[in-house]
Formats: sequence, C-alpha cells, structure tokens
Amino acid sequence: MDARKASKKRKAVTRDVEEEAGVFSGDELSAENLDGALSDNNNDLSESEEEDSDSEIELIDDFSDEDDEDEEEELDSDEIPSDTEPVAPKKTQKSTPVNEEPNYRIVKDANGNERYLYDEINPDDNSDYSDVEENANTIGDIPLSFYDLYPHIGYDINGKRIMRPAKGEALDALLDSIEPLELSQEELELLKKVQMNESTIDGYNPYEPLVESFSSQLEIMPLSAAPEPKRRFVPSKHEAKRVMKIVKAIREGRILPYRPPEEREEKEEDLINYDLWADEVERPDHIMHIPAPKLPPPGYEESYHPPPEYLPEKKERKEWEQTDPEDREKEFLPNDFGSLRRVPGYENFVKEKFERCLDLYLAPRVRRSKLNIDPESLLPKLPSPEELKPFPTTCATVFRGHKGRVRSLNVDPTGIWLATGGDDGTVRVWEILTGRQLWSVKLSDEDAVNVVRWRPGKDAVILAAAAGDDLFLTVPPMIADPEIEKASLDIIDAGWGYAASNPPPSAADANKKNTPPQWIRPSSELADAGVCVVIPLRYVPKSISWHRRGDYFVTVCSGASTPASVAIAIHTVSKHLTQYPFRRRLKGGGPPQTAHFHPSKPILFVANQRSIRGYDLSRQLLVKIVQPGARWISSFDIHPTSSTASGGDNIIVGSYDRRLLWHDLDLSQRPYKTLRYHRKAIRAVKFHPGGRYPLFADASDDGSLQIFHGSVTGDMLSNASIVPLKVLKGHKITGELGVLDIDWHPREAWCVSAGADGTCRLWM
Amino acid sequence: MSGDQESSAVNVAQRQVRVQLTTQQEDIALPENTGPILVPTGLRRYALSTLVNNLLGSEKPVPFEFLINGTFLRTSIDEYLTDHGISAETTLEIEYVRALTPPLHIASFQHDDWVSATDVLSSTSPAASWASGATFSKGQERILSGSYDGLLRIWNMSSETIATSPAASEGGHTASIKAAKFVSPNQIASAGLDRTVRLWKYTEDDDFVGKITPQLDLYGHKAGIESLAVHAPSNRLLTGSSDHNVGFWSTKKADAPAAPENLLPNAARTSKRRKLNTSVSTPQRGPLALLSAHTGPVSAAIFDAKDSTVGYSASWDHSLRTWDLVTSALVDTRTTSHSLLSLEHLPEHSLLAAGTAARHITLIDPRASATTVAAMTLRGHTNAVVSLARDPSSTYGLISGSHDGTCRIWDIRSTKTDKDGVVGESVYSIARKSLEEEGKVDSKRVGGEGVKVFSVCWDQTVGIVSAGEDKRIQINRGEGVLSSNKV
Repeated sequence: MDARKASKKRKAVTRDVEEEAGVFSGDELSAENLDGALSDNNNDLSESEEEDSDSEIELIDDFSDEDDEDEEEELDSDEIPSDTEPVAPKKTQKSTPVNEEPNYRIVKDANGNERYLYDEINPDDNSDYSDVEENANTIGDIPLSFYDLYPHIGYDINGKRIMRPAKGEALDALLDSIEPLELSQEELELLKKVQMNESTIDGYNPYEPLVESFSSQLEIMPLSAAPEPKRRFVPSKHEAKRVMKIVKAIREGRILPYRPPEEREEKEEDLINYDLWADEVERPDHIMHIPAPKLPPPGYEESYHPPPEYLPEKKERKEWEQTDPEDREKEFLPNDFGSLRRVPGYENFVKEKFERCLDLYLAPRVRRSKLNIDPESLLPKLPSPEELKPFPTTCATVFRGHKGRVRSLNVDPTGIWLATGGDDGTVRVWEILTGRQLWSVKLSDEDAVNVVRWRPGKDAVILAAAAGDDLFLTVPPMIADPEIEKASLDIIDAGWGYAASNPPPSAADANKKNTPPQWIRPSSELADAGVCVVIPLRYVPKSISWHRRGDYFVTVCSGASTPASVAIAIHTVSKHLTQYPFRRRLKGGGPPQTAHFHPSKPILFVANQRSIRGYDLSRQLLVKIVQPGARWISSFDIHPTSSTASGGDNIIVGSYDRRLLWHDLDLSQRPYKTLRYHRKAIRAVKFHPGGRYPLFADASDDGSLQIFHGSVTGDMLSNASIVPLKVLKGHKITGELGVLDIDWHPREAWCVSAGADGTCRLWM
Repeated sequence: MSGDQESSAVNVAQRQVRVQLTTQQEDIALPENTGPILVPTGLRRYALSTLVNNLLGSEKPVPFEFLINGTFLRTSIDEYLTDHGISAETTLEIEYVRALTPPLHIASFQHDDWVSATDVLSSTSPAASWASGATFSKGQERILSGSYDGLLRIWNMSSETIATSPAASEGGHTASIKAAKFVSPNQIASAGLDRTVRLWKYTEDDDFVGKITPQLDLYGHKAGIESLAVHAPSNRLLTGSSDHNVGFWSTKKADAPAAPENLLPNAARTSKRRKLNTSVSTPQRGPLALLSAHTGPVSAAIFDAKDSTVGYSASWDHSLRTWDLVTSALVDTRTTSHSLLSLEHLPEHSLLAAGTAARHITLIDPRASATTVAAMTLRGHTNAVVSLARDPSSTYGLISGSHDGTCRIWDIRSTKTDKDGVVGESVYSIARKSLEEEGKVDSKRVGGEGVKVFSVCWDQTVGIVSAGEDKRIQINRGEGVLSSNKV
C-alpha cells in the first residue's frame, strides 16, 4: 500500500511521473529499455490502469485516443528542448497500444453476428479521472516555452506552482548528496499540511463546535430589576431640538414636505413600464392607414344609473322599439338599474362582436376624402346673366304649318323673313314677328327639304334649298320690292348665258361619276312658284353654306354612300357652275359633314366626323386642322368677327356626343372649352351673326336650346369668356328628335329654332 | 298743447290722420263746406271709396280711386305715410277719381283671316272730329278692320259687315294689310305688305250698305308698310315701312308727286307673269318725302298729337326719332336698348309711349331737355307690345296690345319705384274672348299662339277695339267709362 501510495504521490505531482520514474531509475541513453523497465517496475495495477485508461479512451473514440496521445506528446515535447532524444518515449507511448492486445473479445451473439465484449472497468482510486483532475497543469493551451525562464512550468489546480522536474546530473547529484531520506509518517503529514496551507499545530481542529457567546435566543427576563428610569417617560429634549430643527427647515423651505414631482418621476423611471405606443409616430394619411375615429366620452345616458331626466318616457320607448334598428337615432335606451350589481350582462354582446367582425371583414374602412371647401368658391367668377342682357328668354312666336319635322330654317339678311324647310317637302317663308306664313312651295313630293339658306347680302333675295338630290335656287315672289326681286332674278339669270357658252359635256363624260352637274331650269309649275334654278346633284346634300359675297355656296353630301370626290361641291351662281374641289376623302373621320366659308378670309372649313380642316382656296393648301375630340361632329360655326378685329379665329363645334366645343384656332388644335350641358346630341350651333351681340346658341335632341354668352376680346392675351345664359325649352321631342336647326336674327338678340315637332319658334 | 295731447291719446287707440278730399270732376265733387276729415290711418281704397260715396249721398255707389301726390293709393294710408315719411299730423290732400271699371266684353266680329288693323269711326273719334261740319249721329259708329287676306271691312256695332274693299284683281291690296285708318268719315287709308298706301272712298247709302272704292294708290316704299298715321286737317299721312324709311304722304291727288316708275307693279317680273287685269285704274302717286335715317325696319310712325308738323317714328333699330315734317329733317334721336314696335304720344305729359319687343312699354320724353331716355317703364306683358292707344277720357290712361294675347290698360300714375327706375303696373288686362270660348281661359299660350293682338284702338264711345290672330275684332267696354261721360 505504501508503494502504491508513493506512486500515487508522485503522480499527484505531475503526470509525467512514470517517465520521471524512468529517468530516476534507468539509463538515460536506453530510454526505451528504461521505459520498458519502468513499466516493468511498475506494479500491475498501474499497468492495468494504463491499459484501462487506454482501452477506455479507445472505447469512447479513436480521436480521443489520439488526443490523449497528442497531449502526452505535447508534454513530451516540453521536455524536448532540454532533452536530446525526444522521440524515444513517444515511440514507446505509441507502440504501447499497438502491442497491447485488444481489450475486448469477439463473441457470437444470438443472431450469429459479431459482438464485442469489453472488459469491465475498474473504478479504482488510481483511475485516470482523479489523476487528471488533481494534478493537471492549469496554464491552458499556451506554449510551455513561455515558462522557460522560470523554475516552474505551470500551476496545478490549487494554484501551486508545478516545479520543473529536475533533470540530469544536477538531480543525480542532489540525490546522491542527500542521505537516504527517511521521513516518518508524522513528518510526511506535516509536509503535507504545509503544502496544503493547513495549520501545522498538532491537534488543531478547524471544525470545532460553535460556542454561542451572544445568544440568538431572546431573554425573557430583563437583566436588571431596576425600575424604568424617568427619562424614558420624559420627552427627549434632544429629539425635540432635532424636530424643531426639522420644523424650522421645513418652514424655511429647506426641507420640502413632499418630494418634488420630478424626483418621483425619476423614481418611476426606474420601474420599467413598457409603453407599446410610446414611440408611435403619427402616420401620414394614407389610403391603407385609417386611424380609428375618436369616440365621444360617455355621457349621462350611458350610465347604469342615469338622472331621471335622461330616462325615456313610455312614448319614446315605444317609438324607439318600433323604429327599425338601422333607423334608430341611438342604439340603446338609457336604463336605470339602481346599482352596478343589478346591471345584467349585455345581451347583444355576441351579436355586436359578430357584426363588428363582419364589418371588418366585409367593409374595410376606406377613407372618403372629404373636401372642406366652400363650393361657392369653386365656381368660376362669371358675370351674372342679368348683366349680359339682351339675350332670348321666352318664346315669342310659334310658327305652325309644316307637316312633319322642320329640318332647317334661316332668317333672311334683312331680318324680316324666316325661311323653313321640312319633311313635307315644302319651303315656307314666314313673317318673323307675327308668325304669318307668306309663301310656300312644294319642292318635292317624297323627299324632305334638308336645308334652306338665304343668300347673304341685301341686294337680292335668293333662297337656296336642298330637297332630295336636288338643289333649288328660288326667289320668293312678293317678298321684296320689285327692284330687288328683279335684281335677284338677274343675278340668277346671268349664269345661263355663261353656261350656254360652255357646251355641255359629251355623253361619255356625263357618264363619269364626277362630272359636274348641269344647272337646269325648273318645271313650269315650280317656276311659277318662284324657283329659278335646279341643280341635280345625284346625292343628297345635307348642308349649304354661302360665301359672304353671295356668289358661291358650298354643299356637302354627307351620306356614307356618296363618293368622296363629289361629296363637297362649290357652286358659282354667276356662272351656273358646280365644281368638286376635293378628289379624295378627308383623312381621319368618315365622310364630310358640313362646310363653311370663313367670314373674311378665303378659307373653306370642312368638317368630317372627327376633325375640321381649313383649306386656303386660293393657294389650294391645307392651313388648319382642328380636332375637337368629338366622335361625330354635327355642325360648326365660325365666329363672325374672326380675324377682323384682331384676335384669332374662333369656332364652335357641336357634336352628336352631346358636346359643344369652343375652339380658339390660335390657341390650340384642341378645344379651348368643352361645354357638356345637353342630355342628347347637339344638332346645330350658331354664333350671332354680325358680332353685335356676343351670343351663341346650340340646339339639341333633348328639345332644348342653350344660349351662351361668348365674348371674344380684341387683344390676344385674354381668352374668350363663356357664360351659359339660358336654356330655352318648348319644343316637344318627337321620335327621339328635338330641335334640328337654329338661327339668329341678324340684328336682334332673337333666335329661331326648328323642331322635330313640326313647329318653329322665335325666342326673344 | 291740449290738441297735441289729445292726438297722442288718440294715437294709442287708433292713429288718425286729417285728410282733405278733392276731385277735379265736378259731378262728383263734395259740397263746398266739407272741410278736412279725421280718418283712421288703417283705411284702404275700398273704405275710402265707401266714405266718399256716403259723403256724396249717391244712391248707387261709384267706385273711386284715390291719389296722393299723383300716385294711386294701393296700400293703407298708414303704410303710405310710413313709406313716404309723412307725418300723420299734417293734413293729407287726397284726390279721388272715378275708378276705371273692368272693361267687359261687348262683342266679337269674326273674320276670315288674321286681323291686323282696326280703327273706329264714331262721334268722338279723331276722324269724325276732323271732319269739319260733318254731323255724326250716335248709333252710326263704324269699325274698320284690315285683314291679312288683303281686305278692308267696315262693321257696324251689331257685328254686320257693311262694306268690304275690292279684291286684288279689282284694285285692292295684293298682299296683307298691316295698317288701316279712317281719314274722314268718307275716306279710308290702308297700307300693307304690298308696299302701297291706298286711299279709299267710303260711301254709305241709307240701308246700311257701304261701298269702298279705290281713290289713290301711293307708291314709294320698297318693303311692307307696318304702320300708318293720318292727320286729316293737313291731309297728311305718315307711314313706317320695313325698308327703314318713314313715308310722308299727301292724301290729295293734286298735292302728291308722281309715283316712282320703278316701284309700280308693272315694273317687275311678277306683273308680267301674273298680269293683274285691274278693271279699275287707280291714280298712282308718290310720297312727299321719304325720311330715311333708321337702320332697321320702321315699326311705327305717328304725328305729334298737337303739332302735325312733327312726326315721331320708332324702329327695330332701337331708336325713336323725331322728324320735322315740313323740312323732312331729323330733329332728334333717342336710342333705347330694345327694338321698338309701337308708338303713341301722350301730349299732356310730353311723353312718347313705345312698345318694345322686350315685353314692356317705355315712356320716353322726346324733348331735347329731357335728361333720361326712359322716364318710366310699364311692365306686365309677356310678349312683344305691338300696338298702343291713348285713353280718350284720361290723359294718364293708355292701352297696349301685345303678342301675348292680351290688351292691358295702364295708368301712368299707378307706379312704383324699383331698381330699374319707375315701373308701372297695368290696371286691367283684357284677354281674348276666343280663348274663353274655347274653355282655355287659364291655359297659357306659348308666345300668345293663336291669340296675338295686332292692333288696338280705344274710342270713347265704342270702347276698346282690338284685333288679333284669332281672326276677330273684340270690343270691350267699361260701363263706368260711358256713364261718366254721359253725365
């Protein structure tokens, strides 16, 4: 046991005990043998112990085995600088596991497979665990070369230095010099105590039982039987002094009776309250973020015990119960329960939660952006219609006589007569103020009179009318005085000679489609009625527009079947000549609809369904394109003072898609203003001629006319101001058609309208 | 002082005012000794009228109108005093006049076509008064009508046609007649869309059968003639035409210059084609003068009621012009803001009443000294006012015929002041009987369709004669009007 103990002691010093032992006992040069000898010298237990540890490590892992070896290697390598043969011990170390027989047996198990049976581990005192625990060098994983200059090589677990083992001759010399050391058991104990920093006094017991000199137990009896001294019952002067000091301090304000609030807050800050909304930044309004509405605080009515005046009367209660829940002003009735404990559970709780969820699910809150703008301020500053008088306001005369629709009407240049043409094939002339029919002629039995237009100028009274395929130039008799009537006839008759001087085209030419038609004399019946010339156009002209001088007029056959080359015709009265100025169809937007001459410039404006083009007739150039953006232009009119007073050309365009568009040609191709006030298609638009009144009007299929004030200023900087003035209603809608044509009196602010109900009306 | 106390004490109970009732008509004057009367201020016209009737002691109450400071009392006296800031302690001078009784429908004369012009021949009519020495007995009143069919008709009061003018083929008008007037009991002037003024001789034999024979054709206008005014003592006619001219004519063949050749009917193609073989050849004459200054059709031309050498004309060009007919010179131009369609002179007030296309009547002071163009506006019509006539019995009265199918009687004293200046309201409105007969009294005709009034004439004897689109001449008369004149 001693030997074993000794070995154990040695081991406790360092792990390298065995080698040390080898060094101690054996020859340095034959380290291998030494080692072997050492191992031989070692008792069986140590060997078996080694074996055990090895086998155990192997059992755990091969790597751990290697680690173990590495560790040993390192420790060896520590020695290497001072040792010349570092390899030898290593070899032995390495060879040991190889030489050893495996610490297991192979047995067949029940299935016939190999089964490894290991030896049982002997948990001896000498096992590696305690060894490693007790004597490990604790300097950690640093190179041992750091300790080269020191006598120790590290620290054990108790903080003691692990001394560098003595080596070589010095050791031998020391050992030799020392007498064989005989240490008694007591001396060993002493050494051990010294080593362990324990008291070396013999018999010293560090764990002696505690003697309680001051008892924790409370003594019941006082130590002294002396009576209580008086001072104990007398208020302490010292205390009083101190209290007075404090009182004085309080009075002077040096001591505050309460802690200042900020201190308390500070104290509260120590307490961590997690405020979820503390750092919530107000989010800007966004469509995806709608803050919940703020509810008003509850009032008396919501109380469980409201003042009696808040309680509903019987009648109110009944009324509340009878109204539909959705129509109720408030969702509950104030109820008096007397005390809180009598308040019943909320009966609609589930229902309300359900509805709330339903709301959230079905009706996500969407912000309705509510504009807080005074609607008055949005209205444009328009002058009051009262200031813009005169304009037509009431129906003054109804012209009855036409059977079927009145398709077209026109006031003559003198402003006394009104010409109308209608579905009954007649052209009629009326006295404008009284509504007296003065003259009538039936131009066609089947076809409607599509358009009637007086020749401008007061030197003659010529009425152009289109019925069916034919154009008629008529001089209504007895309308004007003989002189003017004669002049009118002369103007028309002058062309016969010109036409006669140019021989009619040959039959072959006549067969061609775009041969200009010959102007012919009317039948005697028509001639008696006042018709002077018939122009057979072969297609149905829907629009006539005179040139201001009265020598030319342009007709447009807007039917879809009309060949493009003959759709637009310009007729010269003085030469009885018809010309087709356009060979091809106008680009973009179907057949041409209507055409007008510019009131002062030699420009012909032609409208097709979507655009209006201005052609300079003298230079034969396209000069203007107007794109109103309407789908189907029905009519347009050119401002009468266009380009004369300065200022640009202004055009109003009416379209079948209910729009009335004002164009300033100098401004843009696009409309300057779009007026959408009609419910149905706009049939006709017209400026007041002559420019005396800045008025214009439109006629719509909804049976109404609208009068606008549109003044064009002279200077280029300001735009035209347009003010809607009046809606004139009166025409009945007949067969989806309302007002078909409109015209202004040449001098007065009166207008006339032709209705599909067979009447014309004068508005003044 | 005691009086003051007394009046204030009375004020508490019922305010009273001292009034002095006066009248200019002797037959209804109060006795001389009637001093100022203390009346409660709450009285209105009706109570005052009863009061005056009581004072007069008349067995049959006569309705009266009351004028304070030249305007009719339309409110209670109290309100009047408050409005005009007059103290109730002053003595209020109140003039009373016979109230105009509502004109009642007397008769309607049916025509074949629209009636455009009408005139009356009676003992009180201008034509009769001009006829020097001619005796015109009562019961021989004649009514002249000119129609759109080109015919003139003479009616007696029992709605019988006494005479009809010859047709176009026999020297009559070849187009609608627009104006017709008696020049004298034996002479008629008419004008129309055939651009001629025709003078007719009217004769009547004993058994009430008249004859209208053409006497003179006057050529000169180049467009239809809209209006005609006659002044028999000077044998002058004044016409307004759509050719922008005012024609000044003589009714005497000898005075008149020759007719312009180019305007005669055979000058033009129409005459060639449809040759009018007129059996009668009427002398043709031209105008004394054509007054041209208007820039629009002349709708009305009248003589000054006092001075036949002064003429006035109204036109569609918004202007009212004064002419010196002796020199054919334009004297003055007054421009209004609307087309003028009719004209009448109110000589006692130096005012010209002009009916406009803007549905009102403007009273214009034509004198050069007048500062404002429009002295007063009479509002109420709903369509163009195309005819005006004076009240024969009152210098303040006026009647207008309008295309809205009504005639309205106005009194220029019945006014109020609003933002447009002095505005008058009509006293009575006469609707067309034809509407009533159709059972559509209340139905509103758009633009007076079918019932337009084209001409109106107010005679003291016959009453109000109006002609219109309903092809009728309608006679209305207020009973009181006649009875008051008889007394």
